[in-house]
Amino acid sequence: MTNAIEIRAVTRRFGRVKALDEVSFTVPVGSICGLLGRNGAGKTTVMSIISGQDRPTSGRVEVLGATPFEHAATLSKISYVRDNQRYPDDYRLHHVLRIAPEFAPNWSTDVASELVDGFQIPAKTPIKKFSRGQLSAVAIVLGLASRAPVTLFDEPYLGLDVSARALFYSVLLRDLATVPRTVLLSTHLIEESESLFDRVVIVDRGRVVVEEERDDARELALSLSGVADVVDRVAAGRAVLQSTRVGGLKSVIVRGPGDSDILNAAALHGVQVAPASLQDLVMAYGTHDEPATTTKEGVRA
Amino acid sequence: MSSVVPAVKLHLNKREMTFLVPLYIIGMVALISVLISLVFLRGGSVPGSEGWLTGSRNNPAFLWAFPGYLVYLGVQSIATTFPFALTLGATRRDFVAGTLLWAVLTSAYITVILAILTMIELATGHWWSGFHIFDIYILGLGDLSLLVPIVFLGSLTCLVVGGGFAASWVRWGARGPQLIATALGLVIVVGVIIVIPSAESIFASFAAWWLAVAAAVAIAISAVGAWLLLRPATVR
Repeated sequence: MTNAIEIRAVTRRFGRVKALDEVSFTVPVGSICGLLGRNGAGKTTVMSIISGQDRPTSGRVEVLGATPFEHAATLSKISYVRDNQRYPDDYRLHHVLRIAPEFAPNWSTDVASELVDGFQIPAKTPIKKFSRGQLSAVAIVLGLASRAPVTLFDEPYLGLDVSARALFYSVLLRDLATVPRTVLLSTHLIEESESLFDRVVIVDRGRVVVEEERDDARELALSLSGVADVVDRVAAGRAVLQSTRVGGLKSVIVRGPGDSDILNAAALHGVQVAPASLQDLVMAYGTHDEPATTTKEGVRA
Repeated sequence: MSSVVPAVKLHLNKREMTFLVPLYIIGMVALISVLISLVFLRGGSVPGSEGWLTGSRNNPAFLWAFPGYLVYLGVQSIATTFPFALTLGATRRDFVAGTLLWAVLTSAYITVILAILTMIELATGHWWSGFHIFDIYILGLGDLSLLVPIVFLGSLTCLVVGGGFAASWVRWGARGPQLIATALGLVIVVGVIIVIPSAESIFASFAAWWLAVAAAVAIAISAVGAWLLLRPATVR
């Protein structure tokens, strides 16, 4: 088995709303995959289905070789804390730390203690009175200390300050080296998280628009900027994913790798060229009128 | 890997709510009962007299104090615990089974506590003062063969029915409990319409075991209903 997560043609409807539309992607065992996209793109729905908290309307999901929904052996190997996770009435931190090991066979008390201390999570305050950052901290404790073979993080650092985020990155990378596992992480802090990812999946309006190795994803699009008329001339013939104009200057994200034609044209006309960052890609696909599925070769599917 | 036992532990994790709050309620009921008895005592009523016994034994305090808390306990056992149980990795099947097992344990715990206190009350001649707190009609007048099924089935009914309503909320949102309450109300009204002509003969032949059967039916319907409602439910 090379893939920890395999999603094939998954559609999820809520009434007349199609939250996921024929979504397919895979996450190899041991990788850290970024699940990126705008609010409402379908990230949380995908994670809910992977974790067995929801079922697809159609399509197939396999986690570690089994369909997760109501499959006890598989569910015990998945950790997923929702970004809006609800806790039982009157729960405090010690309730969470006492019960989580009962469900997580690989639970690490040391990791939990380190994170609780590092995040300075209050012990006596009821969880329902926690701030957004404190709720994120509890979710991170559950996600990392569980040491689940498949760990899903849904916007793990909402409300966390920069020091807390640094602690998260540090413990995540160190503990993954100690106990390797597969991580799927959704976030809007793309530039900050980019270096973590081996692989990225970008979803837009319920469809997968990019599924690539992180470094290969950079070749999917180019950023061109300069005088508007000239930028338009250089970008001619390329699919423009996003366009921003300020006065006479223009910046566009165009699909496709930086081949010699466009690089020469840009040099000739004084247009600045740079590989599109992951953040550029997410923004581009999130604002584009004509969503398209793109692979490394730029094939529209 | 079954998660039934972890699901039971998940419910028992809030130890104060499960084990201590029932004791607080019993203590409060006992205190209020004693205070009311003192009022009657100071008013000239004589402990042990026919009037004193009738009044003391009709004490309904437990009926007011316990069901509300137990229904709440049943509601929260699913409404706010179900999403967290799934987050921890429980299957819906094991969560429902664990919740039912927890309800049985909690009901048994309350039954044992009340049985012990009733035996102490009887052994001490009603606390050396003639005060009736547990030796009352609704608890079987000191008869443990009545107290045990009354308290156990009564507690279990409150917990499981509360859980059933909560399961409908998890499944359908606010409309769930409204639908079930409306359907239940209709069934009761139609039942009354059907049996009212025979009400006199029904009351004449009423036996306590009817209540036990009604409780068993309510428990069975609520438990199966909770399972059917939660199996396709998604976490919101």
